[in-house]
Parts: sequence; structure tokens; C-alpha cells
Amino acid sequence: MKKRRSDSLLGMAFFGPALVLLTVFLFIPMVLTLVFSFTDYFALNPNLTRFVGLKNYVGIFKDELFLQSFFNTVRFVLIILPCQGLGALGLALLINKVTICKKYFKVAFFVPVVMSLAVVSTLWMQIYSPEGILNTLLGNLGISAQPFIHSAKQALPSIAVMSVWQGMGYQMIIFLGGLQAINPGLYEAAEMDHASEWQKFKDITLPELKPLCVFVFITVTIGAFRMIVQPMVMTGGGPSHSTYTMVYNIYETGTVNWEIGLASTMAIVFAVFVMALTIVQTILTRDKEENHVDKKAKRN
Amino acid sequence: MKRSVRRVRKKSGRRKAGGTAMAAAAVLLTAGCLAGCQKKQVNPGDIAGFDPGEQYLSLWVHSIEDTEEGQAYRQSVDRFNEVYNGQYFADIEFVPRNDSGGGYSDKVNASVMAGSLPDVLTVDGPNIAAYAANGIIQPLAELTQEEKGAYLESILEQGTYQGKLYALGVMESSVGMYYNKDILAEAGISVPEAGNPWTWSEFLEILEELKPLMEEKNGYPLDMTFPVGEASIYYYAPFVWSNGGNLVSEDGLGVDGFFNSEEMKETLGFFRVVVEKGYMAEAPIDHLFESGRAAFKFDGAWEVNTVYQNYPDINLGVAPYVTGDNWDGGRYTPTGSWAYAASSGTEHLEGATELVKWMSGVESGMRIWELSKTFPSTYEAFDDIDVFQTDENYAALYEQLKEYGHPRPKTPVYPQVSTSFQQALESVALGGQESGPVLDKSVERINAKLERYIRK
Repeated sequence: MKKRRSDSLLGMAFFGPALVLLTVFLFIPMVLTLVFSFTDYFALNPNLTRFVGLKNYVGIFKDELFLQSFFNTVRFVLIILPCQGLGALGLALLINKVTICKKYFKVAFFVPVVMSLAVVSTLWMQIYSPEGILNTLLGNLGISAQPFIHSAKQALPSIAVMSVWQGMGYQMIIFLGGLQAINPGLYEAAEMDHASEWQKFKDITLPELKPLCVFVFITVTIGAFRMIVQPMVMTGGGPSHSTYTMVYNIYETGTVNWEIGLASTMAIVFAVFVMALTIVQTILTRDKEENHVDKKAKRN
Repeated sequence: MKRSVRRVRKKSGRRKAGGTAMAAAAVLLTAGCLAGCQKKQVNPGDIAGFDPGEQYLSLWVHSIEDTEEGQAYRQSVDRFNEVYNGQYFADIEFVPRNDSGGGYSDKVNASVMAGSLPDVLTVDGPNIAAYAANGIIQPLAELTQEEKGAYLESILEQGTYQGKLYALGVMESSVGMYYNKDILAEAGISVPEAGNPWTWSEFLEILEELKPLMEEKNGYPLDMTFPVGEASIYYYAPFVWSNGGNLVSEDGLGVDGFFNSEEMKETLGFFRVVVEKGYMAEAPIDHLFESGRAAFKFDGAWEVNTVYQNYPDINLGVAPYVTGDNWDGGRYTPTGSWAYAASSGTEHLEGATELVKWMSGVESGMRIWELSKTFPSTYEAFDDIDVFQTDENYAALYEQLKEYGHPRPKTPVYPQVSTSFQQALESVALGGQESGPVLDKSVERINAKLERYIRK
């Protein structure tokens, strides 16, 4: 009994400071955001704040710019999710097979993750510039110079490609860890059954990596939804708002235009959307997993 | 059984106690923060140089102390404390600001809520209207005609909102239409005298004439972009003003009939022609002008120093800023920079005004030029700095500022006007969209932001 009490006190001592910090810097702001979202809170004149009910919520769905930033963000996610997920898996498989300079490749592909997004973005502005490396290469291949981030059509995919390149290394390391954790006995058994490389991949590697895939899937989705630095540095949301994302919109509404109330509403809508999506993802992938287990059980 | 119930009870009691302790800690921490965020009470002797009998004045600037600009502010404050020893003591605080304007303004916003604004703070020129309209800053104490007369007209104009003077800047800025003397000489084109600028129709002819020559040089007649951010409205709004238009109404509370006026449409039409005819690159190319591949460039006054220091091969000239076809000779060229203002929270308006006057005065202005090569804001400072007399390019920029400087729109919804201007320019000039609908949409969006000011 005594021991338990001291244990719990000790636990509290460790846990307490974190909880206080979380409360002050996370929970209270979250609640405040929810409260502000029903007001017309204006940063320059907080005294005039009034409750406006659902006006902000109705308003943002009529706001073309909000809708555009929403669909831009979805477009980003739709490009980044498959490219980054599959790319990371591909890289992990390749590196797993490589025998020479394995460490070098691991580090090389991971380096962009460590670099600051602002630095990477500035770097890629040079790569994408009208007389930059990429256009010079294209020129040598006989392809005319592309505007990339300076055209409303190409800017979004260009930034998405850069983001994939930047973020892929992280998921690659996760997959690599997963690959190395697979019991080699499974592959040996498959070899005895004369299984082809594809069969081994499909029936051993993929199912074993499934839990990791779910994790990667969700983290990449959430990460892509939070896109702001790249468009902010590279295009300022342009041209013609083609790279204006949700988070960018929230940031500008709140800090540049001082409309904290409206920005809070956007943040709440955005958070609810991402949360809902994550829950759906989790349910969908979990079902499949269970089905998979069921099938296995039946087969046995 | 009983024992176990007791145990459970005890446990929950403990949990409650723990929860209460934690809640108390959270409250304490919050309270501590709030107290910390409150206006700090400084007593004589707390800071070196602050003596009994002196009036304490706090000052926030939007800069980092280690920069040249920060050093200039530091030295100016030190001098103020020397000169006003026994009367005032100014305490400067440096609040870093990032490029998109965060940091410093976040701190100001937070302080508005907490009621902890300093006595004097810096405000970016175009934000003066918003700060004044929302009661963050108050009009300065009365200045004599002589005191006012020391400042460039553009500085007084920038600091005035609804007839009252709120702010005075130590820095003024300007944009030049730079040209490459060698290229124009090669093409046999001569630049007009100051006061007799090219209209944009004339300018389009010049660009047409230059195009073949510049194509030979693998360049363009004009090095120009429509960047996101403040630059676009700063560089190109003069075309609207000199065409007889205005972006906002006189009181700053209306845009319909201004932002979507004919003059505005004509201006966008001019830029569309520049893009369409290939007088400028559609995607920005770095250092086009500096590498001798463009004949003209619009850029801030800092460009002169950049070219002198880093591109000595470029033979630089400053031409009078191009005007719209309907120019009546009035003021139209770019101006504006950060300025000092007295916060509405200060109880020492006289002292705050003295500090504002000192920080924006002649001596401080000459210092800001010396250390960071930023233009000062008083006639005397310009007259005392040699280069504005001896160097033709600097002299031309000063002349332009003095004679034709025009502040940016004075409206509390300036940020929205600024972004809308850039977007309209981009959509019409680069995107080829019809200007009417684009501008009407902008008006709608700005109006939505104006609502809160009209309602009052």
C-alpha cells in the first residue's frame, strides 16, 4: 500500500509538469479556439467581440477562397499520399536489397527530412526557376522551358513533388525497420516452395508490413493536410491562389487580417474534417486487416 | 468488503486531491503568465541610467538589436537619454519580426488584449490607419508648424489619419525606375527630364523599340514581376494614382467605384499588354537587370546601393517614374515605411511625443542612413548627407520623393486591399482574365472586411 502510494506520487511528479504545460499550451487554446469560432473576435480590437452564433460557419462555406483552399489541400493530399507512400516503400525495398554502401543510401535519402522545410523550399525555387537546373536539363532534352511554380496549372504538382521528395525518407526508414523485422524463416519457407519474387512480396512482405502501412498512410495524410511552409516560401499561395492551402488561409486570416474569430472557425472545420477522415481511414484499414486474418483462419 | 470499499474511496479521494493540486498549479501558472504579461512596473535604479525624477518611457521596435537597423535605434535611444537626462528615460525593447510580418505584430496584438502596450511603438506605414481606427495608437501631442515642416510631406501624410497626426517615421522609402544607360544609348533612346515622365503609352512604344535589341541579348526590355506580398501594391499602385484613380475612398471606408474604377481597369490593361507583348518574362528570372539583360527595372531605393556594390559593370540611371495617360502632375510615386506612434495605453503623451520626435528626427535619420542605407525622413537630414547632392541617382530618388511621393491607401482594411491588388494584377496581367469581374470580386471581398468599421 505504501509503495503504491509513493509510486503514484512519483508518477504524478513526472506526469504533472507535462500535464500543466499541455493544459496551458494545448487544451486551453483548443477550448478557446472553439469558443472564438462563434465570435467575431478581431485581434486589433478585442473589446468589441460579440457572439455571432453560427455566422462564421455559414460564411466560410460561402467563401470561394475558403473552398478553393480546401480543394487545393485535398489535391495536395491526393498527389502526395500515393507518391510518398509507394515511393517510401519502393526505396525501402531497394535499400534492403542493396549490399554495398547501404548506410550511405539510407543517410542520403533521409537527409532532406532533417533539413528545414524553408531551406528545402528555397533550394527548389532555384531548381524550378526559369533558368534553373531542371529547365536546363529539359532544354538539353529538347523540351521547352516550363514555368513550374510560376504557372497556375503546374505550381501545385510542382510543390507536391518537392514535398514528396522531402518527406519520403522518414517513411522509408519506418518501412526499412519493418522489413528487417520480418522473420527470414518465412522467406526461406517460401523459397522451398519455389515461390517467385512477386509472390514473396505479395504474400509475405506486404501482409507483414500492413500495420506499418496503416501508420504511414495516416501520418502522411495528416502531414500533407498541414501543408503551409512550401507554398508560403515558394509561391505565396499563388499564382491565382492555386497553391493556397487551408492552413495558409487560417494563418493569413488570423495574423495578417487579424480576424481571429473567422480563423478559429476555419481551424475547427479543418480539424473536424481531418479527424473524421482519420477515423474513416482507421476503420477501413482495420476491417481489411481483420478480413485478412479471417481469411487466413478459414484457409487453415 | 468494507475494507475494499474504503480503499476505493480513499483512492478516489486521493485522486481528487491530486486533481485539485494540479488544477491549482495550472491556475497559478496561468495567473503567473498573465501577471508577467501585464505592463511591467519599473522603478528608478532598476535599469542603468534610469534616475529618480525621470519619466519612464517604454519603446518597442520591430527589429533585432544585432542588425545595423537595430544598432541605429539603440544609439538613437541612448542619445535621447543623454539629451533628456533628468526628464525622461526611454527603455527600448527589440521584438524580432519575420518577413511575413509575424512576430512583432503578434506581440502587439497580444498586448492589445492584455493591456500591456508600451508608451511608444513602431507601426508599418500602411497599418497606421488600422491601428488608429481600432484605438491602438492615439494622436500625438500638438507639434508646432516648424516641427512639422521639418518632415517630408509624404511622412506627414502617411502618419495622418482622419485629420490627426498619429505617427512619424525615421525612415522613408522610394522606388526607382532604373535603366541601363549603355543599353538605352545603344538603342538611341534618351530618358526624359524629371517632372516630364513618359506616359505608359509612350513607354510601351519605347519597350517595343527595345524588344529586338533585348532579344539579341537573350533578355527582355523590362525586368518586372508581380510578387506576392507588399511589393506589388507598393511598386504599381502609382500607375493607378497617376491615371487619376484611387484604390479606396477619401475616408478609407469604401472601395466600390474606386478599386473597380475605369482607371484601375486601364492600369491592369497596361500591365496585360506588357506581358502579352513579351516585354517582360512571365516567370521571374533572377538578376535579369543586374546581368545586363534588361533595360528597365522597378525596384526599391536599395537597388542603387546593390548595383554600386555588387554590379559595378552596370551603368545605372534613374528615370522619372512612368505615369498613366491621364496624369495631372499630382503626387503619385511610392513611399512609406515604419513609423513611431504613441500607444493608446500611454499616460505620458507629452513624453511619448518627445520620444517619437527624437527617434524620427534629423540626427536619428542621419544615423539610419549611415548604418543601414535607408532614406531618412527630414529635409535637413537629406541636405546634410552628401550623397543626395553628389550622386545623380540618389539625388533623383530624393527629388522624386520630395516632389511626387504619395502614401499607400489609408484604410483600416489595408491588408485586404494590398493582397487584392496583387491578386488582381496577377490574374489579369499574367492570367489574362477579364479585369471587370476580377475587380468586382475584390470589391466584394474588401467590403466584407470593411463591414466591422461601417457598422460602428
